[in-house]
Amino acid sequence: MSTLTLCALGETPYRDGLRLQEALVRARADGETGDWLLFPDHPPVLTVGRSPSPGALLATPETLAARGIELFEVARGGDITWHGPGQLVGYPIVDLTARGRDLHRWLRDLEEGLIWSLAALGIEGRRVQGRTGIWVAEAKIASIGVAVRRWVGYHGFALNVHPDLEFFNLIHPCGLEGIHMTSVAALLGKGAPGLEQVRVTTAGLLAETLGYDATCWVSAEEAWEVAGETIAVGASASNPHAA
Amino acid sequence: MPVSIVVPQLGESVAEGTVSKWLKAVGERVRKEEPLVEIQTDKINVEIPSPADGTLGAILVPEGTTVLVGTEIGSLNASGETAAAPVAASATASAAAPAAAPARAAESAGTSRAATAVAAPPATQAPPAYASASSGNGGARGSALAPAAPVFTGDRNLSPAVRKLMREQNVGMDEVGAIHGSGVAGRVTRDDLLEYLKNRTRPAAAPAGAAAPAPVASGPRPGFMSGATLPAASGAREEVVPFSRVRRVIADNMVKAKHTAAHTHCFDEVDMSAIVALKKEWAPRLEAQGIKLTYMPFFIKASVFALKEFPWVNGSVAPEGDAMILKHYYNIGIAVGRDDKGLIVPNIKDCDRKNLVQLAHEVNDIAARARADKLTLDEIQHGTFSITNAGVFGAVNSAPVINVPEVAILGVHKIAERAVVRDGAIVARPMMNASIGFDHRVVDGELAVRFLRRICELLEKPELLWFYA
Repeated sequence: MSTLTLCALGETPYRDGLRLQEALVRARADGETGDWLLFPDHPPVLTVGRSPSPGALLATPETLAARGIELFEVARGGDITWHGPGQLVGYPIVDLTARGRDLHRWLRDLEEGLIWSLAALGIEGRRVQGRTGIWVAEAKIASIGVAVRRWVGYHGFALNVHPDLEFFNLIHPCGLEGIHMTSVAALLGKGAPGLEQVRVTTAGLLAETLGYDATCWVSAEEAWEVAGETIAVGASASNPHAA
Repeated sequence: MPVSIVVPQLGESVAEGTVSKWLKAVGERVRKEEPLVEIQTDKINVEIPSPADGTLGAILVPEGTTVLVGTEIGSLNASGETAAAPVAASATASAAAPAAAPARAAESAGTSRAATAVAAPPATQAPPAYASASSGNGGARGSALAPAAPVFTGDRNLSPAVRKLMREQNVGMDEVGAIHGSGVAGRVTRDDLLEYLKNRTRPAAAPAGAAAPAPVASGPRPGFMSGATLPAASGAREEVVPFSRVRRVIADNMVKAKHTAAHTHCFDEVDMSAIVALKKEWAPRLEAQGIKLTYMPFFIKASVFALKEFPWVNGSVAPEGDAMILKHYYNIGIAVGRDDKGLIVPNIKDCDRKNLVQLAHEVNDIAARARADKLTLDEIQHGTFSITNAGVFGAVNSAPVINVPEVAILGVHKIAERAVVRDGAIVARPMMNASIGFDHRVVDGELAVRFLRRICELLEKPELLWFYA
């Protein structure tokens, strides 16, 4: 099924990542570009999806402000979550019409790709019925929250590689009380792969699971250009292989 | 003109959605295709565009409420066809647009560039490995799934920026192919293409060949094109026949069956000697009472006995797909073909409590009423297992579709004398193939095989019913 274009955006403020996604969604829906998988590195941020649970945010606005953490309400599915350093955030901008317009299947496909990626790292991830995301034993290692506009999917997943898990104490992640978050580093200890390695592994295996027959890494500049947007200042990771 | 706003199909496995956010207030103008409401299912939130230009007339389902797919959740007062309508719509459009494209955030300028040192992934390592590993199944899946051809089917080595430039400058794939690329593995980069465009002579405008074709000269037609040899205007070669209501229901049910149940089939064969003999002996006697005896009552009897022995096959999968509902009654459906009127599967209630003569009578009755369109709703609902006889028209085998939400269907076929081996000798016996279509989600292969074998045994040795039923 054609090419999946991959892009490590480098450090990307959340609102810039959202702007890039929305512009690429428009371009994808208009048939101007193909499918993308963006990997932004977000500074610490809390985002709330369309099914917020009251009381899921444990920190006060003052605490958040003091720690420089912004809070965004976004049009994705799911509850509250945290993004930040040490987490592999992936935004697949994908035409779901070509995949039969099946929303649940899309979630299951993303889970499948993440399970394979974790398996490649030596971690046995699993699904828990009714709790979308990837779990290792009883702890959650990856969250999924997706939005769809004009049958193009965006937002996506967040896989904990080596984040400071302390951040999750600000919230009940996904609105689930007593939930325990884990990470690749917490599970594998010394010798655990870093964000770069997990990114390359996940990009490849996700592309394969989703049925693409080729992948192509491009620079952040290229992503912004295709989106027809001016590049955000923070997002300027360069790719030596790109044009 | 009011237009309904309904929860659209969101996938085969998606039965319901939650209204997560109304993006417009009642009375607010909305243009066609503009996001109107958001629906969430599981962890996915989808924007539903407005079906027409107009104003939001009513919100019938408030935010946070979960409804079935197809439910009307609101209504739109569509604009009339006045000349002013498009103007009003575009005004709304421009008013709504800025929200989607926030101004360049000033604060982002202050963000540190320190993290730019993050190395980009090594493109030379990952993609080739996956490209070769997945091309097989990926290609197959792609062709099976993609209803609309993707815009980009071209050279996968071109980056999106190059493709964008190609589109803007009307550069063909042939031209790019001729450029000597300076990128990895000879890949044509954006700079290569810009360099090429500087020296390009071909105009960026529409290609020369696109000029409108000259109109065909009128005049006398050559003899071989005379009216006599042209197909008559009235004798169309194709015809569009809209689905009848029944056909639509059949189509929906079949697709639903194929999409929800994990259809699997297995096959067996029956020596029908005993049943053929019984029918031969008893048919004339029942005939005298006005009852036509077919093989179907025997198939029903054998099925009911086997179902009692294997209760897991007599039931349905719960709508949520997470439980099996076992039925302690035996309503056996019979597929009745009705030529142009379409297939229907009425069921005979409580077959376990009826003798063969009663069953024979009811089979005749229900089949006749099915053909005459005189079934009651109850007669096509609440079945627990079905039988289809593909042998009526001569089929020797079939892989029947389950009458969902039931979990299995028995296929019976033409009975014909075939050469079989009995006690080391080849003899002719009236043989019949039997098949079972089962939902592999809940019925394991072993269970299906044993269940089918049991039915075959009961038909081969009907005296078993005497001893064990």
